[in-house]
Amino acid sequence: MDQETVSTICYLARLEIDKNKSKKIIQDLETIIELIGSLQTIDTSSIDPLYSPLEMTALTHEDIENSDNKKEKFLENAALSNEDYFLVPRVVE
Amino acid sequence: MTIQFKSITELRAMLDTKSISASELTQESLQLAQKYKELNCFVTMNEELGAKNANSIDLENKTTSMLSGIPLAQKDLFCTEGLRTTCSSKILSNFIPPYTATAVKKLEDAGSITIGKTNMDEFAMGSSNETSFFGNVHNPWKKGYVPGGSSGGSASAVSAGIVPAATGTDTGGSIRQPAAHCGITGLKPTYGRVSRWGMIAFASSLDQAGPLARTAEDCAILLNEMSGHDSKDTTSLNSSVPDFLENINQPLDGLKIGIIKEFNLSDLDPEVQARFEDSKKTYEKLGAHFVDVSLPNISASVPTYYSIAPAECSSNLSRFDGVRFGYRAEDTDDLNDLYIKSRSEGFGDEVKRRVLIGTYALSAGYYDAYYKKAQQVRRLIKNDFDHAFQSVDVLMTPTSPNTAFKFGSKGAQNPVELYLEDLFTISSNLAGLPAISIPHGQVNSLPVGLQLIGNFLREDQLLNASHIFQQNSDFHLAQPNLEDF
Amino acid sequence: MSWETVIGLETHVQLSTKTKLFSRASTAFGASPNTNVNLIDCGLPGVLPSVNKEAFYKAIRFGMAVNAQINQTSIFDRKNYFYADLPKGYQITQMDLPIVLGGSIDIQLEESVKTINITRAHLEEDAGKSIHDEYDGFSAIDLNRAGTPLLEIVSEPEISNAKEAVAYMKAMHQLVTYLDVSDGNMAQGSLRCDANVSIRKKGVKELGTRTEIKNINSFKFIEKAINFEIKRQIKILEDGEKVTQETRLYDSSKDETRPMRSKEFANDYRYFPEPDLLPVIISDQEIQKIRDEFPELPKEKEARYQRELGLSEYDSQIISSSKSMADFFDASVEKTKNYPLLSNWLIGEISAYLNKEQIEIHESKLTADKVAMLINRIDDQTISGKIGKSIFEEMCLSGCTPDEIIESQGLKQISDDGAIEEIIMTVINENPSQVEAYLGGKDKLFGFFVGQVMKLTEGKANPKAVNSILKEKLK
Repeated sequence: MDQETVSTICYLARLEIDKNKSKKIIQDLETIIELIGSLQTIDTSSIDPLYSPLEMTALTHEDIENSDNKKEKFLENAALSNEDYFLVPRVVE
Repeated sequence: MTIQFKSITELRAMLDTKSISASELTQESLQLAQKYKELNCFVTMNEELGAKNANSIDLENKTTSMLSGIPLAQKDLFCTEGLRTTCSSKILSNFIPPYTATAVKKLEDAGSITIGKTNMDEFAMGSSNETSFFGNVHNPWKKGYVPGGSSGGSASAVSAGIVPAATGTDTGGSIRQPAAHCGITGLKPTYGRVSRWGMIAFASSLDQAGPLARTAEDCAILLNEMSGHDSKDTTSLNSSVPDFLENINQPLDGLKIGIIKEFNLSDLDPEVQARFEDSKKTYEKLGAHFVDVSLPNISASVPTYYSIAPAECSSNLSRFDGVRFGYRAEDTDDLNDLYIKSRSEGFGDEVKRRVLIGTYALSAGYYDAYYKKAQQVRRLIKNDFDHAFQSVDVLMTPTSPNTAFKFGSKGAQNPVELYLEDLFTISSNLAGLPAISIPHGQVNSLPVGLQLIGNFLREDQLLNASHIFQQNSDFHLAQPNLEDF
Repeated sequence: MSWETVIGLETHVQLSTKTKLFSRASTAFGASPNTNVNLIDCGLPGVLPSVNKEAFYKAIRFGMAVNAQINQTSIFDRKNYFYADLPKGYQITQMDLPIVLGGSIDIQLEESVKTINITRAHLEEDAGKSIHDEYDGFSAIDLNRAGTPLLEIVSEPEISNAKEAVAYMKAMHQLVTYLDVSDGNMAQGSLRCDANVSIRKKGVKELGTRTEIKNINSFKFIEKAINFEIKRQIKILEDGEKVTQETRLYDSSKDETRPMRSKEFANDYRYFPEPDLLPVIISDQEIQKIRDEFPELPKEKEARYQRELGLSEYDSQIISSSKSMADFFDASVEKTKNYPLLSNWLIGEISAYLNKEQIEIHESKLTADKVAMLINRIDDQTISGKIGKSIFEEMCLSGCTPDEIIESQGLKQISDDGAIEEIIMTVINENPSQVEAYLGGKDKLFGFFVGQVMKLTEGKANPKAVNSILKEKLK
């Protein structure tokens, strides 16, 4: 894993690695990738992936409103909000 | 009279004969939690509401279910309305959910009293409870030793006799392995048996809630209440739920137990191996017979798991962004800075490691090689199980290759060392199968667990086989010496 | 040098379901901030989505209308990225198995009809809204829209200029409103598009580098934004420079496109199958039911109006071009027999009024009942067409019925021959010189007499009767 890959992955995950720990973390990541890379030796041609242990179809909901709005509680849980909105540092589109 | 180490069935009898009230029981349980504070089993206690609920059970004065008035502890990964829910993470250290998880709600609706929320590995990522923001949990059997993880607080609290049972969740062994290390019984049900609504997700296709208790019988009591379809979780199974207590006493004559050839038990600690051989003999005496079965792909379970689980977790944990709930870093320049700082300060190292691995496994150019490949191998593993269950009723393995270990002694140098602890437990999560761990003796004064894996929806067989074993042995009755705490 | 423009459109259609795609919160527009939000829409820890099947039915209806392939097994995927109004940090969408695959739509150009092929259409959830300008230093997040079902319709890059893009969006608007798939309200964002624009030298096969203009929500802006972008890119190419592949935003106040800052980082969305949702299967019975209940489309309506109601091709086409107009016409037809007069009024007075007010017919005070009554009063000669127009104006203002207005203002037409004859005689007696001139051959003066009669009756005299009696008396 080169430094650039690590930076890209960190950015995608919105995480930054502590500089003091970065060497160790990268080393750990490489060890884990080596572990999962061992799967390459298994022949899986013509095998469908199993994304869920339940091979069933989804149950769906009816198009009938059942609102469970807890606006005040939702806004209360936010680190920053006013009476109507969640607030974040201003975004410039 | 002490209620410590009593099972649900014993406490039920005490409540029914009025030798104790629900309120007294709850108070005693809370006092025990206080007394063994040093174990660090609990993150948040529920004194007030717990006392109030116990009181209303007493006032109602009628027993509607086996769990009426029974104190329980909930893993701090289940959302509880009005009661702090942290997932043992700094990022949720002040989170008060506006709703309650279905599994907990069902248990509370049955009259059980939640006395507190138990410590765990941060976001359930760990096998030793050493990744909690709220500190390590001790194994009641030996101070300074891990209780296992991730449901370490629940296992420790039950093992120390503070509560007769607790909820846990199991993504790769997180109920069974701590149950084994703490000398109690823990059941991971079939994927979809218990609703995941309100369970803070680690890996959605692997996570499953289940009970930790002193006996298989008590596990059956909890499972009876926790199970069932929930319209809020469309991956919860719509099949009927049997009464798990009803057939728990069936004789084991003719039970076919499979031993997985690919697990080379001679590599294990000879003592762990010896306990396993002893239990085989016990089961043989009880009428079961053993069949060697081959699951050719099972040894790929660990790498398969460590590709799928981090991938799902990397996405599941994106919602912890400091915007709508949870920890938000101060002094941030812009939105991206807010995300990066809040998440980097809010998550611990193991969580970060897994999020990064998962992000990598899903990223362009690697998806097919890591994520998709793992899901294909997952099907091979499931096919292996399907094949095995054509010739056996249950499979038997040790729960963990080792007993509990000292804080900090594993995984510090190499995280994969700790991941290999999950070797025996992970495959049933990949295949969605039920599995149970029951205590079957000790090695160096630390408990050892025996795992039984069942076929899809056959928790009844696991509970039956475990209960009969416990009727014919006393390993589950062993109690830790808590003098050091 | 001569250049060629290649445009592909990604149209986002908000489906008119009552509830969201993955929760049962309301999708109603205009609710107070963060009230159409439940635990799921807020993306709280531990919540799980469940699928609203009605959204599938609407998507399938669209797919059938454009003759596409319908994938009866549908899988949802997660598209991972961080944004303030994206609560979960991922959007649930369809990557590998979209519900609609292929198909085409005809667009009406000035002289011809062009067929634009559709690549695919998939279901996904909308994000919330960020308000950037109202709170000092902060963006405010409203999650009301989060989770609203969208059908994203991707066209092939077969659109050649801004006018065609507008025609495509108009065809799309007509279709989705006709199908009751969406309310099509562009001002509320129910129909919006992203335009991928690239330029290449005429005759060159490979596509040029494209830019994507995000979130355009009116026909006017589509035309302006694309035209600006075409000019901008051509200038870059003529200067010998290269177009940068990027996401741009159309700023209507400056009539220009500019790069979006928030999208400056190349993203890797890390799509993977949504593990919280199992595949959705639409049964053959469900498909058949959708087919059986399929609404009448514009072309079918046009033909029916000509065949059954005897309208002209032109009238039929105009009335069926808008769903709301056609619905209004269909409802009015039940209440009156004079279809040609009704269609004349719809295309003439009524359309002119709606255009002037910039509203749709269902937003006006007009109802099918009232308009049919007006047509009937003209038809049975209670009022003249001219009086009809002043009654119509009053109807639009007050919302009263024609009969109420006729009654209160005494506008009933005078059709009684005796009464008309009396008035005509007055006019003849009062204008002897004009009578003489008329009889002397000045035929044009006939209109003068009609006018005088109308003046005396305040326009209420039945014009036909006036004509015939006048002719009689002036012999």
